[in-house]
Amino acid sequence: MSAAVIGQPLPRVDGRLKVTGRATYAAEFARPKLTYGALIQSAIANGRVVKIDLSAAKSAPGVIGILTRENAPHFRPYPDDLSRADAPGESRVPLHDDEIHYAGQHLGVVVAESFEQATYAASLVGVTYQTQPPVVTLDDERAQKNATSPAKFAGREALQVKRGDVDGGLATAAHKIDFVYSTPIENHNPIETYSTTAEWEASDRLLIHECTRGIKQLQRVVANGFALPQENVRIVCPFIGGAFGSKGFQWSHTLLAAAAAKQVQRPVKLTLTRPQMFDSAGQRARTEQRLSIGADKTGKLVALRHATTTHSSPTHDYTEPCGNTSRMLYSCPNVEVSHRLVRLNLTTPCPMRAPGETPGVFALECALDELAHEIGVDPVEFRLRNYAEIDEYQNKPWSSKKLRECYQRGAEKFGWSNRNKKPGSMRAAEGSQIGFGMATAIYPAGQQKAGATAILNKDGTVVVRSATHEIGTGTYTGMSQFAADTLGIPVDRIRFELGDSQFPEAPNNGGSWLTASVAPAVMGACRDLKKKVVDIAGNWPNDSTQLTNLFERAGQEQIQAEFNSEPNKEEREKNSFFSYGAIFVEVHVDTLGQVRVKRAVGVYDMGRMINPRLARSQILGGMLFGFSTALMEATVPDEKTGRIVNPNLAEYQVAVHADTPEFDIDFINEPDPHMPDLGARGIGEIGIVGAPAAVANAVFNATGKRVRDLPITPDQLI
Amino acid sequence: MNPFTYSRAADADQAVTAISSKPQGKFLGGGTNLIDLMKMGVETPNELVDINRLPLGQIEELPDKGLRIGALARNSDVAKHELIKTRYPVLSEALLSGASPQLRNMATVGGNLLQRTRCYYFYDPAFPACNKRKPGSGCGAIDGYNRIHAILGQSEQCIATNPSDMCVALTALDAIVRVRGPNAEREIAFGDFHRLPGDTPERDTNLRPNELIIAVDLPAISFAARSHYLKARDRASYAFALVSVAAALDLGSNKKINAARLALGGVAHKPWRANAAEKILIGQEANEKTFRAAAEAELALAKAYKYNSFKIELAKRAIIRALTIVAEMS
Repeated sequence: MSAAVIGQPLPRVDGRLKVTGRATYAAEFARPKLTYGALIQSAIANGRVVKIDLSAAKSAPGVIGILTRENAPHFRPYPDDLSRADAPGESRVPLHDDEIHYAGQHLGVVVAESFEQATYAASLVGVTYQTQPPVVTLDDERAQKNATSPAKFAGREALQVKRGDVDGGLATAAHKIDFVYSTPIENHNPIETYSTTAEWEASDRLLIHECTRGIKQLQRVVANGFALPQENVRIVCPFIGGAFGSKGFQWSHTLLAAAAAKQVQRPVKLTLTRPQMFDSAGQRARTEQRLSIGADKTGKLVALRHATTTHSSPTHDYTEPCGNTSRMLYSCPNVEVSHRLVRLNLTTPCPMRAPGETPGVFALECALDELAHEIGVDPVEFRLRNYAEIDEYQNKPWSSKKLRECYQRGAEKFGWSNRNKKPGSMRAAEGSQIGFGMATAIYPAGQQKAGATAILNKDGTVVVRSATHEIGTGTYTGMSQFAADTLGIPVDRIRFELGDSQFPEAPNNGGSWLTASVAPAVMGACRDLKKKVVDIAGNWPNDSTQLTNLFERAGQEQIQAEFNSEPNKEEREKNSFFSYGAIFVEVHVDTLGQVRVKRAVGVYDMGRMINPRLARSQILGGMLFGFSTALMEATVPDEKTGRIVNPNLAEYQVAVHADTPEFDIDFINEPDPHMPDLGARGIGEIGIVGAPAAVANAVFNATGKRVRDLPITPDQLI
Repeated sequence: MNPFTYSRAADADQAVTAISSKPQGKFLGGGTNLIDLMKMGVETPNELVDINRLPLGQIEELPDKGLRIGALARNSDVAKHELIKTRYPVLSEALLSGASPQLRNMATVGGNLLQRTRCYYFYDPAFPACNKRKPGSGCGAIDGYNRIHAILGQSEQCIATNPSDMCVALTALDAIVRVRGPNAEREIAFGDFHRLPGDTPERDTNLRPNELIIAVDLPAISFAARSHYLKARDRASYAFALVSVAAALDLGSNKKINAARLALGGVAHKPWRANAAEKILIGQEANEKTFRAAAEAELALAKAYKYNSFKIELAKRAIIRALTIVAEMS
């Protein structure tokens, strides 16, 4: 038996590949006779295409073909579950009709011998439009009059929820707050932009290299679009250069690239530019959330109403589920959660890291801070007084919840007791105002079914495969750890392979469920492989002689086992699964209204830690993402034209190294008894949750100014 | 990107001759702004004359103890130059507050002088209105999203701002731009180099199309050693200024201000020399009251729009803070 590696801070097994530039990303696969695509996009945000003049583009140097609605194949609609209007991603296939719903909408692809030629030719395409004034703001009457109240988020989570009597509770409350909190449109901004390389290996066989964290879903989408058997489409994606909610769903570029490749009879690479990442591949919608909360004299919550207004594109119902956490984060007898949706001429929104929780917990945790201030109780103490001992929304026990310990340990590490609760009373030597703030973090701990194969080779190495994804979180490493410990062999004998639709099915990588879903399949496949080997040879081969004997007896080149895992239904039905955390920050605010986060402490209960090094990295990235959300990120559409004014990384600002505070990140690290064999819950998204509220609460403590509209830029504090 | 031809000039005369025969041509220095604009389709030169091999990268001391900075000196080399750091710290700080190390390693001093605005409506040719990009098409910013736009010296035709940090310091330092034309060299006082938008916002500067910047001269200013660059921005690094201040003070006994140099960035179509504030400062004691009066005077004529009204107060506070920092320097 080799020493266990689960729980150890193993460095990334793919780290060397990445830092030496040998990890191959979607846009980097050299294909024979490759051509390059450039998108033709709508300049206007609302109206209709009257005519597309291709004459100049066609005769531009290097142009091989141009795909528009005139000559494109008729794509079959997306599969039923994906063409529902509330399914994340575009619900309508590209080039559906001549209507324009948002600026940047794809109208075609120019294919040329080089990217530059394709881009230049695309700039020569002349589009004549019939233009309508776009609807761009939430309060626009044209949008408001068609508002709807969607029942569910992505067909799963209820968006309109009531328990008890909120108005009655508020009427009797000794303390109340009632404010609107808003968050802007945000974009995922992974460093790697979308890229599709489509190649027809035969008239009915398609190979696609694309950065996707939904390999099997994309395979289904493409096969369906071209009416091909699913196995005739192969999607390959060994590495993803960041996703943060993007790259999980169907957008029009994939089918367009494949159709263009068919037209020119050569492989086509279509890589989105940075501006295109802003206008045609998903975003987080703007939210306006009204929080009405009441507490009794002792500081116990008596009523909570969380009413969200947000938007989708004219053809879609995707609804940022801001209120979900308000259903159960605190103990409260009277709760009402609602979501209103309006349609704007802006690109279709989709999940972005911690969809719902990021904006929703910002609003809820700021509101709690305001109420605590109003009552005159310490914010941590206030949360402890309203600690939810069970999930009151689902009326189920928590699988395991050590949030109390997170608050206590976090407060101690941070030095929370040194906080002066009077706003504006702490100052740094150079004159900046100092503020301390905190918030709760929470995120559902999902689990899906998944499959894996494990293969023992003659050289004693084991290859484990699953059609899962590496978005930078450490799947290669974590799954290698599970395989090594299950087989009892050193981790360097394991090669984990992912990112190929030919491998056993795994779920889309999202919802913070990858490890909880894929690890049971990996462990199952390895257990079965071990059993097979032991059945043949009596033991797992420990040297080359034993290996040779094993394979002689087996009479095979490889010994293989496959396993499909499913969530434990009984446990999932009985318990409510979440991960938890508490985050504490110190901010400095100078006379110019510049806010800088100086220190951040986060303590998290996410069950058993599989790899604390990767976990720390994931949480640190999430917290910093949250500070960025609090202080700088905002996608701004021009009100007149609906075009995004800042579709680049200079004007859409994300936190840089200089914005990074001193981090102290700690884990409770106790196994969840209701996650059989695993003990671990999801950690993917929880890092960002709570971080924006902690910053906003700290800014209030520093300055006495309550900013309820993100981001908290100098404009708001001057 | 528009198709273009490329040539490489061996010396300044050759470069000027080459560009004179190509009215749609552009000089290529570090390329950090021009290439970006070409990719966006904002700049569409048909010829690039690469001047990177011209011997214009030197930083030399002038007889009067001033400095001559070659037009091709890279921003990072200027920022770390010992004489710049000791005699003109405001310039070194301004350079280091801009862009990223990678960009500063490429960007040249001459190119920095010609940096174009970050106005959103200028940067995206799909916006129908921009008088700077398409004269006569209107201004998209004036009734649009104008958070980063001008509060001083703007016109109804254009409210764009100059994005350079370096030029704010050079404005305060009374630098001189040396340019070579087809027939001769000439000098342009820094304050006359960039233009206010007026009715011709398409023209950022008074450089003629066939002129090449060859150097920037810094006059000797004994008190420039007591100078500072302050930049207010949305994040701690790699961000354009919301407002910036270049300040230098000559303090006599009893903290009396003998001379002051003050310039603002992020507020106007050109780096903004704060003449009104300087007038208030001179002869007064260096204290917060004086600084506040100077700030109020400078911003008295400021005009803001829907999203940038915070800049007026921000500029005042930035002036006060920068002057306070300079006054407290040993």
